[in-house]
Amino acid sequence: MNTMTCNAMVDDYFVRLDSRLSDLPSERRKDFMMELRAHVMDKLSQVAVVTESDCKSVLEALGAPDEIARQYRMEFLLKHSSWNLSPVTVLRTLLRWTIAGIQGYLVFLVAMIGYVVAACFYLTALLKPFFPHNIGMFVSEYGINLANFPVQHGHDVLGNYYIPFAVFAGYLFTLGTTLLIRFLVRRLGALRRNI
Amino acid sequence: MALLRKTSKPEPPEKWEAQLRKGCLELAILASLWEQRFYGLEILRVLEKESDLVLAEGTVYPILGRLKEEGLLQSEWVEAEAGHPRKYYWLTSAGKQKVVSMAQFWSSFSGNLNTLLKPVLNGKGGKS
Repeated sequence: MNTMTCNAMVDDYFVRLDSRLSDLPSERRKDFMMELRAHVMDKLSQVAVVTESDCKSVLEALGAPDEIARQYRMEFLLKHSSWNLSPVTVLRTLLRWTIAGIQGYLVFLVAMIGYVVAACFYLTALLKPFFPHNIGMFVSEYGINLANFPVQHGHDVLGNYYIPFAVFAGYLFTLGTTLLIRFLVRRLGALRRNI
Repeated sequence: MALLRKTSKPEPPEKWEAQLRKGCLELAILASLWEQRFYGLEILRVLEKESDLVLAEGTVYPILGRLKEEGLLQSEWVEAEAGHPRKYYWLTSAGKQKVVSMAQFWSSFSGNLNTLLKPVLNGKGGKS
């Protein structure tokens, strides 16, 4: 029995798996790895004399670290992002979706547009005190502008009230986008799991 | 070792067949826990014995985790004689309700499909 070789193979397998799940919460990751390691130990304990070939067979039957990590992400990140309100978590999950297919790409696009609009409102709220005559809600014959560089067109209908308005609008866009993505993730998640 | 070698490199299935297996895996996992609690490898053994669903053993564990997150399963680490703890799973009351409704749907669905497939399997009719 070449225990050292087998142990090295098992350790290498779990190092690779761990590296592919390194950005996930450590407690959850450790629990998952511990469960898979128990699986490997149980299967190897069925064999009286473990050869390198047996060890390889057990790890191959378990599946490639890349594939297990991919499925783990699909199952847990989608579940996690279906209730998490953090745009970072939502975007990170969707970014992984984009790799998996067109549905993920479209949802990612919707999320990006929503969050970029929200960011524009926040940014203009921040800049308003420094550029009071160029930032605001300018209504003119050309329509409505939020930023008016270099020449002013139209009338700033909100004045300094633009700041609370923009903060509120930014918040609404952030929340609305996140809720929309949560809805889409729930609806498409079941489909995605079967891919 | 015959068992290990037999399950290590199955023939690659057709794509639709793989999809079908994956779709049924959740129901099969829940059903395997209907009578008693099991740890992951025991669930896999039940699935191997009673069905032909598992493609890669490691894919069952993320599903178990998700089912737990959804409140359909509960789990507990238990020290074992093997020298390492094992994570046991069992159905919650919500899980029992879910598996009953899934089994009812499956029974009706597969019954109707079997009726449709009967002439195909018997080789009757079939204009070319």
